[in-house]
Amino acid sequence: MRRALIPAFLLCASFAAAASSTHHHDSDARGVWKVIAQAPARARNQKNPYEGQADAISAGQKLFKQHCAECHGDDARGAHGPDLRSPGVQNATPGELAWLLRNGNLAHGMPPWAGIPEQRRWQIVTYLKSLGPSQSSDSAKPGASTPGTAQ
Amino acid sequence: MDFIESTDSARRAGKAFPLLRFVLPALVAVTTLLIASPGAGAQETPYFVAYSHHLEEPGNLEIETYAIYGTQKAGGDFIAPWMEFEYGMTAWWTTEFYIDSQTTFGDSTVFTGTRWENRFRPLMREHWINPVLYVEFENTTDADKTLKEVVGVDNQFDAAVPNSVANKSHTHEIETKLILSSDYRGWNFSENFIGEKNLGHEPWEFGYALGVDRPLRLAATPRPCNFCRENFIVGAEMYGGLGTASAFSLSGTSHYVAPLVAWQMPSGVTLSVSPGFGLNENSHTFLLRWGMSYEIGGFGRKLRSLFR
Repeated sequence: MRRALIPAFLLCASFAAAASSTHHHDSDARGVWKVIAQAPARARNQKNPYEGQADAISAGQKLFKQHCAECHGDDARGAHGPDLRSPGVQNATPGELAWLLRNGNLAHGMPPWAGIPEQRRWQIVTYLKSLGPSQSSDSAKPGASTPGTAQ
Repeated sequence: MDFIESTDSARRAGKAFPLLRFVLPALVAVTTLLIASPGAGAQETPYFVAYSHHLEEPGNLEIETYAIYGTQKAGGDFIAPWMEFEYGMTAWWTTEFYIDSQTTFGDSTVFTGTRWENRFRPLMREHWINPVLYVEFENTTDADKTLKEVVGVDNQFDAAVPNSVANKSHTHEIETKLILSSDYRGWNFSENFIGEKNLGHEPWEFGYALGVDRPLRLAATPRPCNFCRENFIVGAEMYGGLGTASAFSLSGTSHYVAPLVAWQMPSGVTLSVSPGFGLNENSHTFLLRWGMSYEIGGFGRKLRSLFR
């Protein structure tokens, strides 16, 4: 009896947590801004070693399609995750974006991307900063979409 | 006499089962998914035994098919294939379901059970050392030869028991791991401390697994490519037993070291191979692991949309 209870308990816990996790996706923008605001000054002020380099932008775009487009859309205008051309993202420093990529936002569904080498994370940041702000009115609204709430 | 008859019947019954009923349909399903679904880029380390702190991305499903070939001093060599279905429940929780089988040369092919594992990240940020808590429920038989972990005084002579005998002995075990993992300049260093408890009043068994790996090139090239160095990861693993709660020592334990190489294609397919070498007389002399995995991005969302 006790043997059967363990997997049953784990299964119930699985479904309960899965249900609660889907509830948090795509919402609670303020939580994400709090995360970016927590980037330590040292990370915030880090210089992007690839800033403005054409090869890095191309490489970043390639990596973005492999790792990020599923949630943020092929053009980074947002899909199930937020618009990365929004002013909030584009106004963040390269260091803040690199810090967010490395740490993710686990509470809001964005995984940490520390598993890909630092050089590649900087290439993604270079690509994101090359996009410039979106002209879409939706993404310009404060809190309409924020970094790190990817599914 | 009974022993010979039971071996023959097991051979007859087991021969067709995993290969025709399970492995082939599974391969067809995997191939169909490869063709039908866009792949997603994975960031998990390609270890076979050790785990790092990198979990499955939330909503992604990774389908993995692996096998191990092992030499056996007393008995036939074996091949043990298994399948894994790894799903990112949340950004801090990955769950995984395993189906195990094995073929022992000169004996039979048998289905050896299932396993269900869960990994949890307790800390929300990256640190120098990142802990992950691992808990797994195993419903297998003593014929299981996947060697996904080596604990207690596991040794190569355990695998010499004929399938007809070993497959009758069912075990229900809880396996726990403390996974510690660090990333530094493109390298990943992982240390796993394993505690396994047979629920049938056996003592706790302990083991370890260590892993280190690095991509051949850290920065990505501007253009998409399959054969460039950035897609290849090389590394090594070391794992073995540490005795039991009543005899915590290296006496009677087996240990292995295994270099590995993985090829992560941009399509989401990863191929990996790892030859392993036994380090003492209790170990299998040679192990060869290989596998293929495919990651389906946004699987959970696509599945939910079917029911809306």
